[in-house]
Amino acid sequence: MSINKIDPNKWVDKYSDYLFNFTIVRVNDREVAHDLISETFLAGLKSMKNFKGEATERTWLISILKRKIIDHYRKTNSRKGKAEIKIQYNDDSNEGDWLEENAPDRFDKTAEDVMENEELGIAILECMEHLTEKQAKIFKMKTIDGFETEAICNEFDITPSNLWVIIHRARTTLAQCLEKNWF
Amino acid sequence: MNNKKTLFIDCSEAAYCCDKKQYNEASLPEKLKMLLHLVFCKRCRKYSSHNNRLTELMEKSNIKTCTEDEKKVWKEGIKKELTDK
Repeated sequence: MSINKIDPNKWVDKYSDYLFNFTIVRVNDREVAHDLISETFLAGLKSMKNFKGEATERTWLISILKRKIIDHYRKTNSRKGKAEIKIQYNDDSNEGDWLEENAPDRFDKTAEDVMENEELGIAILECMEHLTEKQAKIFKMKTIDGFETEAICNEFDITPSNLWVIIHRARTTLAQCLEKNWF
Repeated sequence: MNNKKTLFIDCSEAAYCCDKKQYNEASLPEKLKMLLHLVFCKRCRKYSSHNNRLTELMEKSNIKTCTEDEKKVWKEGIKKELTDK
C-alpha cells in the first residue's frame, strides 16, 4: 500500500475548492465556511503527526472538516435553544401558528435533486485532481468563474491557442473521469 | 472561395470549434464547419456529445471557487502556524 505524504504548503491550492464546496452546501454561509476551513487547516497542522498516510491527504482533511461542521451545528443549536420559541404545530384540531410551516416544498427542485447536484459537484472536483495544477486553474477560471479568454491569456502569459489546447485536455480528462457514473 | 480549405476541417479543428462552442465563443462559420465534420466523423460526434454533457453537468453542479483573498488568508494562517512551531 502506498504511503500518502503530507505537505501543508500545498493544501490551499490543492484542496481549498473541494473543502469549500463540501462545506458551503452544509452550512450555506460563505463566511462560516471560510472560518470552518481555517479551523480545519489549523487542526490538521496540529495533528499532522497522527497522519499515518493510509488515507489520502484530502480524505484526512475532510474527516477533520466533518467534525468541525458538526461542532458548528452543535454550537448554533445550543444558542438557538436559549431563545427558543415554542411553536404550536398543527394537529387534527388546529392549523398551527405559522402558516409557512405548512407551505409546500418547491415542486421543481426536490431534496433528491439537491443531493444529486451536491454529489455531482464533489465528483467533478475529485476528477479535477487528475488535471495538472495549471490545467485545473485555467479550466476553473474559464468554466466556473467565466473569465474572458483574453484575461486568462494575460494572466498566464499564454496565447489563445495555448489556452484552447489546455481547455481541450482538461475537458477530455474530466469527461473520461465522469463518464462511468454521470454520462 | 476555396471550398475544400474553408468547409472541410480536420478532427483537431473540429474539437477546437466544439470546445469554443461550450463557452459560446464559436463563430457561425466555425459552428457550421464543425457540424459538417460531425456528419462523417463518428469519433468527433462522441467527443461532441461528451463535451456538451460536461457543460451541462458543470452548470448543474453549481460548483463555487474560493477567491484569491480567501486563499491568501488560509495560506498565511498555515505559514504562521508552521513558523511558530
